[in-house]
Amino acid sequence: MLSNFDFSVIASSLPYLFGQGMVFTVTLTALAAVGGVIIGTLLAMARLSGIPGLWHLAKGYVELCRSLPLVLVIFWFYFLVPYIGAYVTGSTTPIQVGAFPSALITFMAFEAAYFSEIMRAGIQSIPKGQTAAAQAVGMNYWQTMGNVVLPQAFRNMLPLLLTQTIVLFQDTSLVYVLSLTDFMGAASKIAQRDGRLVEMYIFAAVVYFAICFSASFLVRRLQRRVAIIR
Amino acid sequence: MTSSPMPAPTAGEPAVDAAHAPKDAGLQPGGLVSGAPVVAPGETMIAIDNISKWYGDFQVLTNCTTKVAKGEVVVVCGPSGSGKSTLIKCVNALEPFQKGQITVAGTKVMDKSTNLPKLRSRVGMVFQHFELFPHLSITDNLTIAQRKVLGRSAEDARKRGLDLLARVGLSAHATKFPGQLSGGQQQRVAIARALAMNPVVMLFDEPTSALDPEMVGEVLDVMVELAKEGMTMMVVTHEMGFARKVADRVIFMDRGEIVEDARKEDFFGSPRSERAQTFLSKILQH
Repeated sequence: MLSNFDFSVIASSLPYLFGQGMVFTVTLTALAAVGGVIIGTLLAMARLSGIPGLWHLAKGYVELCRSLPLVLVIFWFYFLVPYIGAYVTGSTTPIQVGAFPSALITFMAFEAAYFSEIMRAGIQSIPKGQTAAAQAVGMNYWQTMGNVVLPQAFRNMLPLLLTQTIVLFQDTSLVYVLSLTDFMGAASKIAQRDGRLVEMYIFAAVVYFAICFSASFLVRRLQRRVAIIR
Repeated sequence: MTSSPMPAPTAGEPAVDAAHAPKDAGLQPGGLVSGAPVVAPGETMIAIDNISKWYGDFQVLTNCTTKVAKGEVVVVCGPSGSGKSTLIKCVNALEPFQKGQITVAGTKVMDKSTNLPKLRSRVGMVFQHFELFPHLSITDNLTIAQRKVLGRSAEDARKRGLDLLARVGLSAHATKFPGQLSGGQQQRVAIARALAMNPVVMLFDEPTSALDPEMVGEVLDVMVELAKEGMTMMVVTHEMGFARKVADRVIFMDRGEIVEDARKEDFFGSPRSERAQTFLSKILQH
């Protein structure tokens, strides 16, 4: 039965699949992860700040993001934000954001909700005495967070942050709804063009599996390395 | 470590030597805020004025009043849960209090206009569980607040940090991390970290309670040296030997109240309150 399959299509399309598709996927994952961790950390700080308005806002945002399917948010952001932008700026035509910036902002903002939950647990895992010690030597809130709490929280949570990034790596395939060509999209295009759906989708699955599995393995090894000796 | 970890102090020399004193006037010992009067020896450094504190409905401190003069060493003791740790944490406002006022070197602790980080930067504090920053090397532990809070150059901060590390006898450990040191060593580093900020007063919150018995001595040695150098100290401790040796006054607390506030000789000679007598008889049995 396998004689009907032609796997040579994979070899001939490798430059396109990886040179364009995978580069896009990795770029989007990396930028979204960095942005998501930064926004997520700020959200976590807001949630733990105890300031009533801020606390509710952060909690509401996180709950909202976690209750919506990502693909819906990608759509919503891409189609509605130009109109909102036009309304806000008073422009008569929709503000064009572009598919890539739109996707990037969506991923950052959406993943921030998940990263914020991780960072919240990380911040809470730092003993209160550490905060007290930082305050006792005269550090203000931002100095305490920046020099003492967050570096430790970040290191404690690094394995979880990376695991979430692996999930993000898989989620980036959803950009197909904006006609952006990531690795999955590139595989899909070749598959449709050459009528080699099974071969290309098997190959795509193998690549995703190989990357995510080895990344998870590396994260587990890293976990033992970065632990802070107390 | 039985030998003295610090060089013998010169007469009248404060714990902080002039060569490393910060340059800006606002940070001179005694002047926590620019223009504040420098406290002369014997004058009040810490004034605790009738403070009360509640956790919800539970009152942890009741009308506590006392004073610590510059250069004085005051030991605070009492049974666990008596509020002694809470009281000392009120001095640098790590614990807020609802009633009364504390004044440190002329600066009101609970006052909206007070720059708390600035006040705290000159009030050294040593914790029961050391609380060194575990992700930073010993050197970085000693320099980070000097650089970030006092704005000293990396070089100045490093010089002062390593100087103090030598004085607590731990020069060999500069590049290690806190987790690689014993409890006693960590606590000595914590004392050095506090001293690096040129504090006008040092607060100790049960500095030896979390230590293995054989390490208590090395930490107390450092504290005794500090006291001899004229540092103003408020020490929450059960180490009555330390109190006998260097304390000027002993404050005995029970159930959130200052029950006895007496000169050392009077406290150990003839404690007036029954509660202090009971406490002393229990603690001095061994």
